Amino acid sequence: MLRPFPDCLKKFWRAAEEFLFAPSSDVWLSILRVVLGVQIILYCLSLRRDWNEVFASTPQGFLSRDLMEGILNVHSHFVPRLGWLISIGGYLGLSEQRVLGLCWITLLIAGGALLVGLFCRAAAVLAWLLYLAAVKSGSLLTYGVDNMTTIGLFYLALAPLPDRFSIDHKLRAQRTQDRHRLGFFRRVLQLHLCVVYFFGGLLKCLGPGWWNGNSMWRALTRPPFDILPMDFILSARAWLPAIGITVWILELGYPIFIWPRRTRAIWLTSILLMHIGIGLALGLYLFASIMIGLNLAAFGPGLILDRQEIQDAT
Amino acid sequence: MRRHLYLLALAIHFYFVVAIAWLDVFSLLIRGVSWFPSSLEKVWSGAGEATAAALGQSLDNSNAIRQTLTTYFHCAGIDGGYGFFAPAVPSGAKLVFELHYADGHVEYELPQVNGHAAGVRLTTLLGYIGTTDYEQLREVMIKMLAYRVWQEHPSAKTIRAVLGSISQPTASEAARGSSESYTFIGAYDFNFQPEPNASPVP
Repeated sequence: MLRPFPDCLKKFWRAAEEFLFAPSSDVWLSILRVVLGVQIILYCLSLRRDWNEVFASTPQGFLSRDLMEGILNVHSHFVPRLGWLISIGGYLGLSEQRVLGLCWITLLIAGGALLVGLFCRAAAVLAWLLYLAAVKSGSLLTYGVDNMTTIGLFYLALAPLPDRFSIDHKLRAQRTQDRHRLGFFRRVLQLHLCVVYFFGGLLKCLGPGWWNGNSMWRALTRPPFDILPMDFILSARAWLPAIGITVWILELGYPIFIWPRRTRAIWLTSILLMHIGIGLALGLYLFASIMIGLNLAAFGPGLILDRQEIQDAT
Repeated sequence: MRRHLYLLALAIHFYFVVAIAWLDVFSLLIRGVSWFPSSLEKVWSGAGEATAAALGQSLDNSNAIRQTLTTYFHCAGIDGGYGFFAPAVPSGAKLVFELHYADGHVEYELPQVNGHAAGVRLTTLLGYIGTTDYEQLREVMIKMLAYRVWQEHPSAKTIRAVLGSISQPTASEAARGSSESYTFIGAYDFNFQPEPNASPVP
């Protein structure tokens, strides 16, 4: 009587295993590494003139780091933060400004190491920890880009590095050969993006703003995102409801249409165009670049970027 | 065996990812900014509480399990939902500093940063200051920003910070010539002039 159930379970288990451990090349990992390296470098460079002021404690700082880390303490005492490094620096006789400068330089170097693939694992872990510490020590100044970059760095630090395009591989012939493990980590990233877009789309379609064009209007005209001329937006306002609806349909449909090979190209291209639009029209360049990079890493290989993988699949 | 461990880790991780995303959805629905009737707010509230409990967030703040889970959420970057600009683009806040000098003249300043990237982050901060329910925290944050302005203008006798939320016109209102307006939230007076034999502390 009980036999069919275990058989069903076995079938499900086998299907899940085949899906989650589908063999993959390491091209996606190369893309993820390079994208995150560039992202870290851009993050550092974009904040270079404000870094010390953003993260300094009272009274030199923009908003006290002590206050933001105090708020973080309400949630957890164990989340990495710059205050820990500054305390260690204090024991070594280094001033706060000096430690903050060292953190900036180290993060920039970690980003550069990721970009070229030198000491991949150490660079990925270091970049993740320092970026996390910076984001959490400036928790009141963060937005979506920081969450998405942290997610990417978390997965990169765990993924089977180095990849074939890294300097590590060229110099020391280090490279993982386990294509199933590579496939597993790629699936994790793919599934996470599906969750991100599904809930992003769901939340948008739950309110009237993304149906009647009001949210598109507000996004495009709200400082500091008001890059496009007001006259241009006004002349195109009849299109705003359609654009708003297209945005949430693209996001809500992502977990469905990104998987079949027939619809993947069109959906991925549409999502990439949407993020290019967000970057150019709202000036959210870092957010656009991380989302484009994560999408290319997750779903690009096998479609447009890795001929070997296409051959393997066919 | 290793595959089993990977799958177990994946299942736990995505349980957290999805539960936190639902928590975000319920918190939005509780605020009554969706299509659903307000009579359902109790349902969403109950669902939100159940989801928070399933994530260990109903435990005492000092509880080791809650601390561990929260640390993991932050480290993995999954501590927040994914409702960027959803369900509506939030109203921004504007903070203006009035610098009052001893001779009676008044100057006006806005919070300043050096780069565009920091400017976007400043917008996030001002939005938080404008919406937080903790009045004391709001005042502390505004005082810190005001102190920074005073450092640039140390001869100012007092600084008044005026906080308001920005009301954007709709597209049709803008077409008729309306521009953004401000709703007064609060005004805060600060005096950073050093007392005799004392250094200023914000």
